[in-house]
Amino acid sequence: MTPSTPTLSVKDLRVGSPFNELLHGISFEIAAGERVGLIGESGSGKSLTATSVMGLLPETLMATGTINLNGIDADLLTASERRLNRLRGNTMAMVFQEPMTALNPLMRVGAQVAEIMMVHRTERGRRQARQRAVELLARVKLPNPAEAALAFPHQLSGGQRQRVMLAMALANDPQLLLCDEPTTALDVTVQAEVLKLIGDLVTDRGTALLLITHDIAVVAEVCQRVLVMYQGDIVEDGPVGRVLTAPQHPYTRKLIAASDLSSVDDRGRLHTMSMPVIATPPAAASSPRPSQADAAAAPILLPHRAAHQRLEQGGPPVIFNEVAGAGAIRVRGLSRQYRRRGGGLFAPAPIVHGLREVSFDVAEGQRFGIVGESGSGKSTLMRILCALDQPTSGAVDVLGQSIGGASERQLRDFRSQVQIVFQDPMGSLDPRMKVRDIVAEPLHHVGRAEAQARVEAQLAAVGLDADVMHRHPHQFSGGQRQRISIARALITRPRVLVADEAVSALDVSVRAQVLNLLADLVDEYQLTLVFVSHDLGVIRHLCDTVAVISDGRIVECGPTASVYDRPLHPYTRQLVSATPSMDELARRVIA
Amino acid sequence: MVLVVLRRLGVFATTVIVASVVTFLMLSILPGDAARIALGVQATEADVAAQATAMGLDRPAIVRYLDWFGHVLIGEFGTSTVSRQAIGPEITDALGITVILVLTSVVLALLFAIPFGILTAVRQRKPDGAILSGISQIGVAVPGFLAGMLLVTVFAVTLRWLPAGGWVDPGNDFGGFLEHLILPAIALGSVQGAVLSRYVRSSVLEVMREDFIRTARAKGLGAGRALFRHGLRNAAVPVMTVLGLQIATLLVGAVVIERVFSIPGLGSLLLDKVALRDLPAVQGIVLVLVVFVLLLNFLVDLAFTLIDPRLRSVS
Repeated sequence: MTPSTPTLSVKDLRVGSPFNELLHGISFEIAAGERVGLIGESGSGKSLTATSVMGLLPETLMATGTINLNGIDADLLTASERRLNRLRGNTMAMVFQEPMTALNPLMRVGAQVAEIMMVHRTERGRRQARQRAVELLARVKLPNPAEAALAFPHQLSGGQRQRVMLAMALANDPQLLLCDEPTTALDVTVQAEVLKLIGDLVTDRGTALLLITHDIAVVAEVCQRVLVMYQGDIVEDGPVGRVLTAPQHPYTRKLIAASDLSSVDDRGRLHTMSMPVIATPPAAASSPRPSQADAAAAPILLPHRAAHQRLEQGGPPVIFNEVAGAGAIRVRGLSRQYRRRGGGLFAPAPIVHGLREVSFDVAEGQRFGIVGESGSGKSTLMRILCALDQPTSGAVDVLGQSIGGASERQLRDFRSQVQIVFQDPMGSLDPRMKVRDIVAEPLHHVGRAEAQARVEAQLAAVGLDADVMHRHPHQFSGGQRQRISIARALITRPRVLVADEAVSALDVSVRAQVLNLLADLVDEYQLTLVFVSHDLGVIRHLCDTVAVISDGRIVECGPTASVYDRPLHPYTRQLVSATPSMDELARRVIA
Repeated sequence: MVLVVLRRLGVFATTVIVASVVTFLMLSILPGDAARIALGVQATEADVAAQATAMGLDRPAIVRYLDWFGHVLIGEFGTSTVSRQAIGPEITDALGITVILVLTSVVLALLFAIPFGILTAVRQRKPDGAILSGISQIGVAVPGFLAGMLLVTVFAVTLRWLPAGGWVDPGNDFGGFLEHLILPAIALGSVQGAVLSRYVRSSVLEVMREDFIRTARAKGLGAGRALFRHGLRNAAVPVMTVLGLQIATLLVGAVVIERVFSIPGLGSLLLDKVALRDLPAVQGIVLVLVVFVLLLNFLVDLAFTLIDPRLRSVS
């Protein structure tokens, strides 16, 4: 192998079923030790590219073209299964997206790492392989590697499991490492650590890297070169710094613009990509506005500006964003504890603190963001605000309704006043109901004809044509489904809208559209918005005030810009640095 | 781990006690007085009263229950009101026969279902896989007694290779025991094997789609090796649930096959005793059956705990 031979060379790769071509003849090379990002939206063909290289395409798909590893190996697409088995895990290795399911739940992780060395006989015996596995777990910076090796996957966190996957992939010192969305399922701070680890490990060993992601920030963090994929073609190929700052292809330009949550147009809306599939509402002209009478009755509110405060270690509890008079939401000393299932035979079940002594207000018309990582308590807080869960102690008033101990009958009115949009647009719509029935479901005591008219108007308001009413949820894309969820939430004319990770499952271009739609509707309907997310960028764009929640406590709260630019709490600082803006990224890459 | 086992054992013991109370109450509440049933409709009131005293029926229910259950715990099931002999030995003999029959049929069913199920799953898209899958589908549809009668017609009546029915104690004549065991065990096991192979197939198909199988392939394991090293243990979990339920049904369901082959098993004994209105015996047999089903559940739970580490930690 001469130094000029690329580690991976893909030529005119076409993948598809007999009826449908999914990859349209893509070609690229990766030099030895080069770190290349492959970016694109879901369905663009990123994962197919990687599975083709690994020879793990589903049986139903056929591939043509040539894939060469190291220049010396014959075409991988026509190689025998035996030959591929010898290459997989040895010369080339892969890390997958889902750390929860990618490991065998019934096998200790050390044994799973050792297995890859046993399969390829790179260690002499079981004992040596086990020993090496512990060393490898130490290399990926797992605390107590010897103990971790004896753990089963369910005993490790998502980030730890992804470290195990990485240890496994790197065990035989492969020349090529493929990573498919390795950090997408992880919390932002964990994501930053794992990315840094991947970058360091491949740089140390001179491993060539193909990193698949939908997130430009991830590529900027780790890669030297980036390939942009769009509908089965590679549309752009260049150094990360150049592509970030001077994208050539129109798609890349739009992708970067849509990813940039800090850059908005003159209406304060995000740049979106023209997507012919979805009709954009013509300035919401046909949408039902709150009637003049309602507008006149609404008191004219002085804009409330939150104080920027933080929780001191061991300090007294703080009432964040305190509003004089009656705000939309008033939470005082809210705690929620759970009894974990089980416990000893005689010992009581252990208590888990979901929320501890949380106090804050949300003013009417405020856009209040709650940001935190998994397990922080943000979902518990959201559920209590929507009266889907009860506080253990403390007082929660939403629109004057006390949540603690309220019966479902007392909450009837409340339910139509406070509506929710959930994260998963796939799971939160009943697959057997038609869109018309889904959107109309929250309406009570409304005649058929009126319901029909209101559904139609509401769908128009979220940018969907009236003829979607007779279709079922599976016939829509993720973004369209989220529009349906928003239509369902708004049809009762709520005063408070709670969104739980409402855009986290969407592609960046669709995310921008849905965020713009939310911003429009919040203005138009004069909603109080509570937006719960792990993504500081999204919150920064959409919310005027943000509360940072960690370990069941609000640790910092204030005007979004102020929290973002001058974080007071160390945890917030960590969070902010893990989610850099586009400008910041470009600066880091060029530097 | 020990704690988990102890807890499951506790649950098992509790359910056994509850089951014994229910069994006792059900048969006490049933219309008809045990003493009168024992003596028949012609008996005088005085005879019935004397019989009731002899059977201890004049004592309060709680005392009767404790007396009965206390004796059951040391293996005494009381005296038959019909034969006037201890019921215990009769039940143990019949139970032994049924357990041998059921276990043999389950082993046969597993020997068939595991390879067959895996094969039909792996060859799912191939013509042979589809044909084999169709065969097992037919097997599911055949009732056990029909399979039994067919087997008797072919192997006992026409070919005269094996006896058509009856039972030989393995202690007396082991060869004869096997000869008498084989046809009923196949009749009982074939249907179970067909059902089980469907579950093995769907379980293996499911596991083959799992991410960790893809991980194993990416490590360089071949498709077969990935399935054997990582798939089968995972596939075993749902199959075991079905297996436990099947054995439980077989204990009682074996009665049909026992009748076809004239085997003196527990199901046959239960039917006889019901026909004779021998209440103490019926009570004893029902309790034994219930306890066996509970014991099976306990063992299946325990096996789950052994296979799946996620069930081992208490929290």
